[in-house]
Amino acid sequence: MRIGVFVCQCGTNIAATVDTEAVAEAAMSMRDVYHAESIQYSCSDPGQRQVIAAAHQHRLDRVVIAACSPRMHETTFQRAVIQAGINPFMLEMVNIREQCSWIHEDREVATTKAIDLVAAGVARVRGQVPLKRGRVPVVGEALVVGGGIAGIQAALDIADAGMPVTLVEREPTIGGNMARLDKTFPTLDCSSCILTPRMVELKHHENIRLMVSSEVTAVRGYIGNFEVDIRKKATCVDEEKCTGCRICEEKCPSRAPDEFNAGVGESKAISIAFPQAVPLVAALRKEHCRQFIKGKCGVCKKVCPADAVDYEQEDELHTEKFGAIIVATGYRLFDWEGAYPDYGGGLYPDVITSLQYERMLSASGPTGGHIVRPSDGREPRDIVFLSCVGSRAESVGRPFCCNVGCMYIAKQAIQTREHLPDSRCYVFYMDVRACGKGYEEVYRRAQVEAGAVYLRGRVGKIYPRGDKLVVMGTDTLIGDQVEIETDLVVLAVGFAAAEGAGELARRLNIAYDGYQFFTESHPKLRPVETTTGGIFLAGACQGPKDIPASVAQASAAAAKAIRLLSREDLETSPMVAEVNHMRCIGCFKCAEVCPYNAIEKQKLHDGRTVAVIIESLCQGCGLCNVACPPQVISLRGYTDNQLISEVVEVLR
Amino acid sequence: MDELVKAITAALEDCELVLGWARDPATGAGRPERFTSAGQAQEAIFDATCVHNLAVHLPRLKQRRVGIVVKGCDARSVVELVVEREVERERVQVIGVGCDGVLDLKRIWRRHGYGVAIEDDGETLLVDGSEVERQPLLQHKCRHCLDADPSIYDVVVGGRTAEGPEPRGERQELAERFREMTPSQRRDFWRRQFARCIRCYACREACPMCFCRDVCIMQTQVPHWAGGEVNPKEAEMIQLIRVGHLAGRCTGCGECERACPVEIPLMLLMEEQNRALEEMLDYRAGTDIEARPPLLTFDPDRDLWGDE
Repeated sequence: MRIGVFVCQCGTNIAATVDTEAVAEAAMSMRDVYHAESIQYSCSDPGQRQVIAAAHQHRLDRVVIAACSPRMHETTFQRAVIQAGINPFMLEMVNIREQCSWIHEDREVATTKAIDLVAAGVARVRGQVPLKRGRVPVVGEALVVGGGIAGIQAALDIADAGMPVTLVEREPTIGGNMARLDKTFPTLDCSSCILTPRMVELKHHENIRLMVSSEVTAVRGYIGNFEVDIRKKATCVDEEKCTGCRICEEKCPSRAPDEFNAGVGESKAISIAFPQAVPLVAALRKEHCRQFIKGKCGVCKKVCPADAVDYEQEDELHTEKFGAIIVATGYRLFDWEGAYPDYGGGLYPDVITSLQYERMLSASGPTGGHIVRPSDGREPRDIVFLSCVGSRAESVGRPFCCNVGCMYIAKQAIQTREHLPDSRCYVFYMDVRACGKGYEEVYRRAQVEAGAVYLRGRVGKIYPRGDKLVVMGTDTLIGDQVEIETDLVVLAVGFAAAEGAGELARRLNIAYDGYQFFTESHPKLRPVETTTGGIFLAGACQGPKDIPASVAQASAAAAKAIRLLSREDLETSPMVAEVNHMRCIGCFKCAEVCPYNAIEKQKLHDGRTVAVIIESLCQGCGLCNVACPPQVISLRGYTDNQLISEVVEVLR
Repeated sequence: MDELVKAITAALEDCELVLGWARDPATGAGRPERFTSAGQAQEAIFDATCVHNLAVHLPRLKQRRVGIVVKGCDARSVVELVVEREVERERVQVIGVGCDGVLDLKRIWRRHGYGVAIEDDGETLLVDGSEVERQPLLQHKCRHCLDADPSIYDVVVGGRTAEGPEPRGERQELAERFREMTPSQRRDFWRRQFARCIRCYACREACPMCFCRDVCIMQTQVPHWAGGEVNPKEAEMIQLIRVGHLAGRCTGCGECERACPVEIPLMLLMEEQNRALEEMLDYRAGTDIEARPPLLTFDPDRDLWGDE
């Protein structure tokens, strides 16, 4: 056994606080160390050549690099030791920068600590054995979860690259929240006009399979080899037969809430959400249907000219394999009612959300594009917009900015002037955030062209007076209370994660924050990756963002997925669990705690039943290692004995 | 005792053996016995001298149909073994016995002579013919017993004579004293205690939950958590390993302490750990046959420290 120790100076990053020459000298006296030296920049090209040359000269078979975190340069040095003819796993990185020089001031103390850490590294590498990476084939198909604009964009990008994609959407149509918008800032182009061509393209793309009314119920496997259970919910309508004529909807006697229109107007128990829905297929909601509640009706079945209605239809379960998963489950509006009792908590019909207002602005919406007061159907003259309802509001536990409120208020103010030339808009705002390309111009237009009156301050209370509403707030610029009597109040309600986002994250084994937005692997350098390999994020499921940002992120996620799917196979980590079958007592506590279902039972010739690790599933998390009572499970590369000897060295 | 003999005889129709107690001719106290025939079953007894937890034998009788006579505390061991899937409930006939507490025989024999005549009816204790106070001569665990009635059984034999013993003995006082100690005082206390350990492994052999037996981590080089020498340092290590390995699994039967030939108060440590884990995880080992032990479950949603 011949170990080489290389102590990096990292310029002055390490050398200013740690005497690297002294560390190298101390290392020379450690057991089995045949060479030790201090290098100015070990990660530089000359530095690596120095390591390789020393390895050849001293016939080294193990290398310890005392430098920065292995997260920085482990692969750099693995490549170097391979060039020196050494197995890449016979390398140990000792972190004397982040964990030593950067956090200490006293040179003597830091040097002593660095020596201890190097001794621990030498102890671990002494117990190391050469390891070999395995290879697993990659399934060449992608799964996109969520059919809003982000999911659509990601699916189209991957499909255009020639790879098959399955898009799973839980609603009966794709389109997501963007389909509910009338116009989009900053260009004020019609949302449907730019979205629906993409929806149609997706529907007819030869590489895309669309599964609507479907949900991901379980995810197994790992990067390149996910096995996903998808439940296609029964809609009582045969997708193949339905022509989208909407006669069933017209004749259906059961009224139902209209979720697509955010509760403005009513829908039927069997319906198509909007005229451009893709697929253009009716869906029946059993909880509102007379046939299912009372047991008799059958109107839709009778009137359907295509014989597409089938009350007996059952949920279908599909299990499919995918190499990559893109999560694009979007957002919903924050449930503002409970948090804002001072705004009526939902009791005043003329206090509506911006999404409800959006549906009213839409020519294909429930009011045919007319702005009316929900209470009496009258056209409003004065309209008050409130920004930051459930955003930037510590008091209701939503401290973050919704990213889009300022812009869509400006957009809606401009549209209001177009719809109702005699109307007058007031906007209560905290700050106006209009920093995107072309955004400031929209804000100016709302003030100058549409004549919206911007008042800087929060609204304290809204209460009815006669058939009007009184909005009481502060204008912090004049430092006084203001009271506005108005016909309609529009709340710019902030973003919340889609319903069930946390549960989906747990199924996917990806991280999420306290608001159930999914967490990216690194906020700057890995913005579309999750902490689980092979699963990527797109759109507002990761945090509030507008359409341009969602689309850009979706394409980025697609690029990552394409990069993965274009490979034939992937290297696996050899650092997986291993069972010593001689001593396994067959208690299977390992299997109980394994998060990856990577442990199987196997009957041996001597009649004992023991645990075996499925190496392709094992992620090397070490839970089984800890749970095993006789500790016969070890982690390759990190065996108990290696760790014990490290600890012993540090404590010596 | 006819009832017990009958129950064992009935169980033998279905089982190849029944674990119970017979009288040891040398001391007159109960000793563990394997009953395999109706004739032999005539010797079965149960009284306050039947101290052993027979559940310790169940993991070694895998795949076989056996019967077992259990006190309330022993039943908890059976439950925990079923929970940990070491024992299938279906293959075990559980004969529960009502128990008024079992005696600390070591203490009685030390005071009155080895094998002294003992008569006990659950209320009055006669040692060598004269009445002595019963409560102080019970096992520590019996003085604050919460499990006098078996929680699982197929048949129950006999009832308890008295209500449960008053749950306060010197062990509580010791525990309270222990809780008042500073961490370094506790460490010194246990170092002194463990320094006496002779590494006989009796604690492990008597424990129903220590079913690794001869592959025990205390005796292996790979991984090398403890050396083989008999010295205070290694003893401390192996005892702490044992305590850690029983976290959330110890049912408090007290067999480790009873078996310890140098009388280390092992249960003091176990009971403190059990108490802490019960507070933290709301789990009392061996009380719910349907339970999933929290420390043997992968559940990322579980919040061990409340809503902080």
